[in-house]
Amino acid sequence: MLKEDFVIQSNVRQVLIRSNIDYSRITFGTVKGVVYLRGIFKSARFHTDGSGEGAANFAIKSLESLEKKIKGIPGVIDIEFELTNWKKAGGQWTPKKMQENG
Amino acid sequence: MDSEENARKRLKVRRLRFYRWMLTEIEREIDLHPGYADLRNQLGLLLMVGGETEKAEIHLLEALRLNPKYLEATLNLGFLYVETERWEEAEEILLLEVKKHPKDAFLYHILGILYLQTGRLKQAAAQIHKAIQFHSYYRDYYSKKGVWQKGVVQLDPKAERVAKKIHWNHTHAQFHNFVGLYLAKKGKSTQAVQELRKATRLKPDEFVFHANLGTVHTYQGVYPKAIQEFQEALKIDPFYGMGYANLSYVYGLMCRTREALRCMKTAVRINPQYADLHYNLALLYSDRRRYEEAAFELKKALRINSSYLFARINLGVLYEDQERWKEARREYRKILRITPEDQHIRKRLERIS
Repeated sequence: MLKEDFVIQSNVRQVLIRSNIDYSRITFGTVKGVVYLRGIFKSARFHTDGSGEGAANFAIKSLESLEKKIKGIPGVIDIEFELTNWKKAGGQWTPKKMQENG
Repeated sequence: MDSEENARKRLKVRRLRFYRWMLTEIEREIDLHPGYADLRNQLGLLLMVGGETEKAEIHLLEALRLNPKYLEATLNLGFLYVETERWEEAEEILLLEVKKHPKDAFLYHILGILYLQTGRLKQAAAQIHKAIQFHSYYRDYYSKKGVWQKGVVQLDPKAERVAKKIHWNHTHAQFHNFVGLYLAKKGKSTQAVQELRKATRLKPDEFVFHANLGTVHTYQGVYPKAIQEFQEALKIDPFYGMGYANLSYVYGLMCRTREALRCMKTAVRINPQYADLHYNLALLYSDRRRYEEAAFELKKALRINSSYLFARINLGVLYEDQERWKEARREYRKILRITPEDQHIRKRLERIS
């Protein structure tokens, strides 16, 4: 059963606020259960060894976690990510530009 | 077994450690963002409450140099001058602010204290009278303490103590509010709630404290408490539009969409220039199949921000639902002009072309 879009939208907002990403750079919308996220993905906190690879791995984990949490919201049927610095291809998250990794 | 004395000592040490930790954290942030006036103001407030008035003054002055219109920093500097008995400087600052904010009861109240402490009783009574006139909080407070009796300000030695207490409550409340926000930002929401509660206890008429508490409770997922705090904030300031919006989101999280709609409508009425609020109101109408009203709100959002992509996507889908194919296609084409890689919209367009 379809959940109301406003309820989904409120839940997405809550997920973003609770996540460790800088949500001020992300905009989002909900259309008939499909959640759209656009903008720049950037971590608000770092838990890495300081290396570029560590930061990228951390960003991938954060993206996967974010995706899982949003998919877990009742009524969400799909997520469309349109991120400036990350893309998902073949089920894998890859950076578009290394220097912009969050 | 520990004596009460030892327990008190330990608490003091803990507080001192916490104070030092916060000082270091903010100083670090200032190093990163030397041009942020609010960081300077926060550091100034922290130092002032910690009794380091000379350092506090430096940072408050710097905050005002960075942003000369920063009211909170001006007030903090005014308090600092009152505390350090630099009456002339305090009076100058406060009188200037009164000119800019002639209905701000708190400014009259602080001026009242200042005149009271410098023995200018007539002027003090006039200022306290104005404070009472402009905000019911001061009427209630001064009545309770016997300073305001039968429409007249009664000044005696007790009045000075009473007035000073409100003043200190304000400064300490600001301090606890700031600490609460800081802890919330660091993800320590339980401690943040404790600090924000202290702020609301010290100054129950400050809507920002209740709104902040509402926000932290929302973050925690304690929705009934969040609603209570947002409602409290709105009782104090019924024109706090974002308070209605936040209340609406909390109702959304609780699936209470009827109340969410009522609140979002008010939020939009108060802040008609916020595209995001129109978008959310449109979602609420659309969920209730009130398509005309939903389309109306989406168009308003797009008038405010023509590149608001989600509003355009929702509008396209809304036209589709109503079998208004031509309009739906027009919106989808506009989206694809901005984001040609959007496969989801491309498929939708192909389906109705």
